[in-house]
Amino acid sequence: MKDLVGRLSALDPDAGAAVKVIAYFDQLVDGRAGLEAIVRGAAVLSGCVVRLVDDERHVRVRVGPEGHAPDDGFDPPEPEWLNAPLVPGGPPVLWLERPGPAGPVDAMVLERAVSAARGVLDRTRGRASGDPALMEVVLDASAEEATRTRAARRLGLPGTARVLALDGGAARIEATGAVPGRGRVGVGPMVPVLDLPASWEAARTALRFAADGTEQDPGARVVHADELGGLAVLAAAVAPGTKPVADVLALERARSAAPWVLGTLVTFVSSPSLRTAATALVVHHSTLQDRIAHAEQLLGWPVRDPPGRLRLQLALALRRLHLHT
Amino acid sequence: MTTTIPARPPFDPELAAALAVINESLPPTLTAEMIPSLRQGMAEQRATDEELSLGGAFVVGERLVPGPAGAPEISLVIARPAAAETAVGVIYHIHGGGMFLGHNRGHELVEQLGWARELELAVASVDYRLAPEHPHPAPVEDCYAGLTWVVENATELGIDPDRVIITGSSAGGGLAASTALLARDRGGPALAGQMLLSPMLDDRNDTPSAHQMAGVGICDQASNELGWTSLLGDARGGADVSPYAAAARATDLSGLPPAFLDVGSAETFRDEAVTYAARLWQAGGQAELHVWPGGFHGFDLLASYAVLSQAAKAQRLPWLRRVLGS
Repeated sequence: MKDLVGRLSALDPDAGAAVKVIAYFDQLVDGRAGLEAIVRGAAVLSGCVVRLVDDERHVRVRVGPEGHAPDDGFDPPEPEWLNAPLVPGGPPVLWLERPGPAGPVDAMVLERAVSAARGVLDRTRGRASGDPALMEVVLDASAEEATRTRAARRLGLPGTARVLALDGGAARIEATGAVPGRGRVGVGPMVPVLDLPASWEAARTALRFAADGTEQDPGARVVHADELGGLAVLAAAVAPGTKPVADVLALERARSAAPWVLGTLVTFVSSPSLRTAATALVVHHSTLQDRIAHAEQLLGWPVRDPPGRLRLQLALALRRLHLHT
Repeated sequence: MTTTIPARPPFDPELAAALAVINESLPPTLTAEMIPSLRQGMAEQRATDEELSLGGAFVVGERLVPGPAGAPEISLVIARPAAAETAVGVIYHIHGGGMFLGHNRGHELVEQLGWARELELAVASVDYRLAPEHPHPAPVEDCYAGLTWVVENATELGIDPDRVIITGSSAGGGLAASTALLARDRGGPALAGQMLLSPMLDDRNDTPSAHQMAGVGICDQASNELGWTSLLGDARGGADVSPYAAAARATDLSGLPPAFLDVGSAETFRDEAVTYAARLWQAGGQAELHVWPGGFHGFDLLASYAVLSQAAKAQRLPWLRRVLGS
C-alpha cells in the first residue's frame, strides 16, 4: 500500500486534490492538532520543505516532506519562495521552500495551512494583540455594553475570556488558559467578555506581584489574580513615592550584605518544608539551616516561626510592589 | 431503525487527517468485489531490484525455491549487504494484505532494508500463495517452506542460521506468528525473534476492538472477516481452526522466540495483539508490546511521516539490536 506521500504527490492538480487538501486541514483543526502537525501536513501535501516563522510569538517550525525536521537550519527565506501572511497585508509567516508560480494545490495548501496555524497560534500563544482600537473598547468599562459586545465579536472572542497584563503594560486577551512562555505576566480572572475591564484591572494588580526571576527580583514570573486573596489590598498601599516600611529596608540591607539572601528567602517561604527548599536550591538542608540563621541575623527577626514567616512574606510582597509600581 | 455508534478511542489528530485522504482510495470496509482492482493496484507497485538495493548497499536477487510437498515453487527476494564478508543474520519478511493481497516486492520492504543496513543483515521476502484461490494451509506452508530453505541453504547464501528474525505486518504478522508456531512444533529453524506488526491473529474476529472500530479506519471488522473467510471458508470462527492458520487459536504459547508486537489503539487488531502478548508472558515467554494511541491499522505504513508513525518505527531497530545482541 502506498504511503500518503506517494498518494498525494501523484495527485493531479485537479479539483479532487484540492478537496483532499481541505479535508486534511479540516481534520487537523477538528482534532486540535499542533503547529508541527500543520506544518508537516503542508510539507507532505506540497512535497517540499515548509517553514512557519512568527517572531512576534517566538515560533519557528520547519519540516520536510517525509515528516522530519531537515538537518540544515533556518537560513533566510528566498524572496521567490511561495509564502502566505498570517493576516491579510501582514508579513509572511508560512513558506513553501520552492519558487513559484504556485499551482492550485500549492495555493490551497498555503491558504489552509495558514488558516489552521492562525487558530493554533491564537489558542496556544495568546491572541495576537488584535486591532488595538477594538482591544481598547473591550477593556474600557465606560464604553457602552453594546459597543463592547460588538468589539468582542469582531475580535473573535468566545463567551468568556481573560486578560493577561504583560511586562511593559501591554494587554493580551485570551480564552484558553495559555500563558506566554517568557516575561512577567499578571493573569486576570476568566470572565464573561463584558467583565473584561475588571479582569484587566485585576491582571495589572497581579502583574505587580510578578517577579523578574533575577537575583535582584527573585520569585514567580506568572501571578494569577485569583490566587492573591487579601494581598491584592496591599497593592493599593504602595504607590510611586510611598516610603518603604522598615522591613523592606531590612531586606534591601540584607541583599547588599549577601546577594544570595533574597533568592534563598523567597524559596524558603514558598516551600512546604526546609527540606524541599534545600532540594530546590540544591544545597544540603543543614547548609540551608545555617543560611537562614544568617539571614535572620541580617533581617533582625526570626523567620522560622509562623509569625516571622508571615512578616517575611509581607516584606517580600511589599518590596516587589515597590519594584513594580 | 436506530444506529448506535460505539464509544471508540479517537484517532490521533494527524492520523485522522491522513485518514481523510487515505479512505478516499482505501475505504474502511473492503469487499470481495474490490479484490481484483486492489490486487491490480498493488501489482503496479512492485519495487525493483535497484530500488531494493538502497543505492548499492544490498545485492538483490530473486530465487525460486521448492514449495511445500506437491506445491509449486516459491519466489524469495533476497537482499544481502554488498559489503558483508562473513555470514550475516537475516530478516525473513512476510508481506501483509489480508491474506488475499500483496506480493514480496512491496515498498514496505524499505523499512526492513533500513534495519538490515544498520545491523548488517540480509532480508528475504517470501511470495506466498494468496487466498481465496489458495486457502489454508497454502499461505503458511509456503512461508514455512521458504524459511526452511533459507536456513538449510545458509552457507550458500552467506547467512548465519542462528540469527534469523521473522517479521510481518497485518496478515504477514499473523503468518509470521503461525510460522513461528510451525517451526517450534516441527523442530524447524530456531528463530531469534518474531516481529508482529499489527498482526492478524484471530479468525473469531469478535474482540471489543473489532466491534468498536467497525466501519471506520483501515481494515475494519468486515474487511477482517473477508480475509479470514478467504483463508478458511466456512470453517472461519468455528471449533476446528488450526493455530497455524490463526495463531490466537494456539493453546500453548510456550517455547516461542522473543516477540515484538505493536498495534494502534484505534484498530480491529488491538485486543488480539494485546492478548497475544499477555499470553506469551503467561507462558513464560518474552514479549515487547507497544499500543500506539489513536493509531489506525497500518498507520506506520500509510502515513509514515506522521509523528506517531515516527515514534512507532523508532522502537523496532533497538529491539532487533537487543534480540540479535548486536
